[in-house]
Amino acid sequence: MLIAADNNDDAGVYRISPELALIQTVDFFTPVVDDPYDFGRIAAANALSDVYAMGGTPKMAMNIVAFPMAKLGASVLRAVLAGGAAKLREAGAVLLGGHSVEDDEIKFGMAVTGFVDPAKILANQGLKQGDRLVLTKPLGTGIISTALKAGLASPATVKTVTEQMAALNKTAAEILSTFPVSACTDVTGFGLLGHLCEMVAGTGRHVVVNSGAVPVMAEAKELAAIGLVPAGSHNNRKFRENMVMLPAGFDPVVRDILFDPQTSGGLLFGCGGKMAAELCRRLQDAAVLAADIGWVEDGPEGIVVR
Amino acid sequence: MVEIDARGLACPAPLLLVKEMLEQHQPGEVLVWVDNEAARENVSRFLASRGFSATSEGEGRDIRIQAVKNGETVSPPSAPASARKIMVLIGSETIGAGDAELGGKLMVSFIKTLKEMGDDLWRLVFINSGVKLALAASPVLADLRAYEENGLTILACGTCLGHYGLTDQKQCGQTTNMLDIVTAMQLADKVINFG
Repeated sequence: MLIAADNNDDAGVYRISPELALIQTVDFFTPVVDDPYDFGRIAAANALSDVYAMGGTPKMAMNIVAFPMAKLGASVLRAVLAGGAAKLREAGAVLLGGHSVEDDEIKFGMAVTGFVDPAKILANQGLKQGDRLVLTKPLGTGIISTALKAGLASPATVKTVTEQMAALNKTAAEILSTFPVSACTDVTGFGLLGHLCEMVAGTGRHVVVNSGAVPVMAEAKELAAIGLVPAGSHNNRKFRENMVMLPAGFDPVVRDILFDPQTSGGLLFGCGGKMAAELCRRLQDAAVLAADIGWVEDGPEGIVVR
Repeated sequence: MVEIDARGLACPAPLLLVKEMLEQHQPGEVLVWVDNEAARENVSRFLASRGFSATSEGEGRDIRIQAVKNGETVSPPSAPASARKIMVLIGSETIGAGDAELGGKLMVSFIKTLKEMGDDLWRLVFINSGVKLALAASPVLADLRAYEENGLTILACGTCLGHYGLTDQKQCGQTTNMLDIVTAMQLADKVINFG
């Protein structure tokens, strides 16, 4: 066993041979969008993301389904599963089977197995002095999902957030694997700053986040400003308030976005100065967002937001 | 004045109730009850975005948000009754300059009397030789443990424990660092530096 649950890492890793380790992860949740096919795509992309965040390649998956058959009918379930299958095909992984139970509320996700070279595992922790921090998707999916539930998100915003959540971190992970990346995670339920805290806690590293450089989805700021912030953002902030220094008078809307829980968020990784610039160029050439949002410097353990 | 009880509801439901009420009744004054901090912030922010001045008071499961449409005059809401956040920073094992025995007695008395602050006492932070108050030989160890059991966060400077070679001997509180201390100072309503 190379990485287990107590590391707070993205997935478990088990070594089979000197050249091969298995990555195992599972994730499922209730719908974040109304369309069943899109929900299937998003749930699959979200489950697959943990494998990419560990530096691996997804190989096989099992569906996990909770479904109210009498209420929603088989056609909705077929659409959810078709969405999931489409994302597995895109990832180059195969579906081995799955399990479903009758439930009042629909839930869908996958248990995913991936392969990784044990020498190329990307753990959460390992940030080094002088690293730049890079994020590959904009923030705001939690806020926009909350607005969607409230019927207050515009159709254009819903379409954008759906496509973003359904987008795989595949291309980003493939490019990362050819660079000396020091640490990597994917941004999900704890939000950007929550996951960054996991990368930093216990390592003695001091990280500066340039809040002005953090990419945010269109309309997320406006929606947060009228109070459409998920409770998770608040909980994430309370949980980590002693590790994150915010400037005096910091805009609470930006603060809530930095802690906004993400569904199928981007990769967040560290890479040494000059290589980081080259890596960002490569990502951008492949049409992957690569925002340089901060750096590691000398100082007491924790995160300082500027 | 229109009153809404949104306790027991998860975000964004409280906000939606308020939105519906504003659209139906167009009130000049609103009172909303919520039972969590996320709802407090979200409802207050929503009311502000709709041209209200909102204030809130209370803690835990009974939070009261009172809002007045800007431009209308009503009686001012009462001052918040919730607990303040007082951080006490202790930089020495004794209080004041002079006789060390007296200083030690004063510190014991100070730590024991701190309980009178009640829920306002939010963080107790030991730095420099103050960390020695968190060791087995400390005359106030039992008091500190009782504070911890009551939910007070006690922090001891890790650099200081290391400097005195006492890292393994701490008997209460969590080890902390300077960023944690500085964020606590910023979050606190009042910081008292003593010892």
